[in-house]
Amino acid sequence: MERLSFYDQISRNRRDSIVLILVVLVFMVALISIIGTVYSPESSFFFLTIALVITLIHIFVSYNYGDRIVLSSVNARLADERKETYLINTVEGLAIAAGVPAPKVYVIDSPEMNAFATGKDPQHASIAITTGLLQRLNRKELEGVIGHEMSHVRNYDIRFATLVAVLVGLVAILSNLFVRSFWFGGGRRDERRGGGIWILLVVVGILLAVLAPIFTRLVQAMISRRREYLADASSAELTRYPEGLASALEKIKNVNTGKMPVSEAVSHLFFVDPTKSALDSLFTTHPPIDKRIEILRSM
Amino acid sequence: MILQITLGAGMFGLSCILVVILLVVLAFAVYYYNRIVVLSNQVDNAWSQIDVQLKKRTDLVPNLVETVKGYMKHEKGAIKMVTDARAKMMGAGTVDEKMKAHGELTKALKTILALAENYPQLRASENFRLLQEQLDGIESKIAYARQFYNDSVLRYNNITSTIPGVWFAGFMGKAHKPYFEIEEKERKPVKVKFDE
Repeated sequence: MERLSFYDQISRNRRDSIVLILVVLVFMVALISIIGTVYSPESSFFFLTIALVITLIHIFVSYNYGDRIVLSSVNARLADERKETYLINTVEGLAIAAGVPAPKVYVIDSPEMNAFATGKDPQHASIAITTGLLQRLNRKELEGVIGHEMSHVRNYDIRFATLVAVLVGLVAILSNLFVRSFWFGGGRRDERRGGGIWILLVVVGILLAVLAPIFTRLVQAMISRRREYLADASSAELTRYPEGLASALEKIKNVNTGKMPVSEAVSHLFFVDPTKSALDSLFTTHPPIDKRIEILRSM
Repeated sequence: MILQITLGAGMFGLSCILVVILLVVLAFAVYYYNRIVVLSNQVDNAWSQIDVQLKKRTDLVPNLVETVKGYMKHEKGAIKMVTDARAKMMGAGTVDEKMKAHGELTKALKTILALAENYPQLRASENFRLLQEQLDGIESKIAYARQFYNDSVLRYNNITSTIPGVWFAGFMGKAHKPYFEIEEKERKPVKVKFDE
């Protein structure tokens, strides 16, 4: 595997985040303007302005509050300082090892074993752990998993992954909306409008709408796999004990049912894929667990 | 005339080369200066992480002694060892002194926690359980902070002891920084004596 210093990873994530924001900006402005223009071609400039305003707000909110949106969408709660001292201590310890400020610690009440990190940078980061994971792992294994999440925090994976979840997640929703409203009102407008431009707009609109979910899937698949291997390796570097993470993965493999009630738009953030669906073989967001264990054990 | 022109061109070319060399040297100097400063700051920052944890642990000691005293009436020696080590820790100023005092306090705490195994009532007390959890947490944080500190020192020492960094380091008055080593005997399991 290609060796990347974590400075390279940080600059790559910063660059990827900017590219993603620009792509989403163009995509959303185009989409909203087209939707608007389909309804009334005379006021396309007005729709363009509206599209810009909405998109900029969306990007601002996603960038600054994306972590809260993600955390509340999976029903995470802040860890209890008295009851979950052990977890908080472990997170703080690994933050020291990674040389980043201690992230906020969240807990998800679920029997599934999983974890994720989110935030816009290491100074505004959160790590969430399921109760299933907390109960079943010993200290070394928990350190392995948290070390993995801590490397996502340290190398700014969290910024890009959170942006993907919130920015791209909404594109899918928007396109979905467009498709539905188009089918409902399609016949009525035929008598009012005509001409090649309108047909072109409709075609482009449909195309965008059809592409959006695939686009979401593709971006999710593109970002995850290599990042997970890298984070596994960095975790081993932080804990100096790859076996901890390997044995955690083994437990997870045997316990998880893949039925965590979380949205597909955030599944790529998780330590292991929280949902098993039929599309997984086509658009995997996570590398196979066996492969990860194998790599860790060969370190 | 022709000679003059070629001479002029030669002079011009020469000064161009000189300027380029000067710029390259300058760029190197700036790069290494900044790198050394950044890495040196990182080492200081890493040390302060250790320091924070050492202080937290030192602050916990009176609490622990207070909790333990009532149950472990026959372990005056072990308790005294802990309070002595704490006093030494409080008095330590330099990195070296602190490392030494840290070793002693770690040993003393291990002894007392091992002895506590013989007092079921103490182990059952909520207060003691919390203290132990805190001490465990701090212990592993110190270990991680030490790891981060040593990694930072390694990066710093690498750049300040290889060419060309070593020239700049000498010029900047930046010396080698010490690693935070654990004493050999600290790594061995603690032997608990039962003399009473």
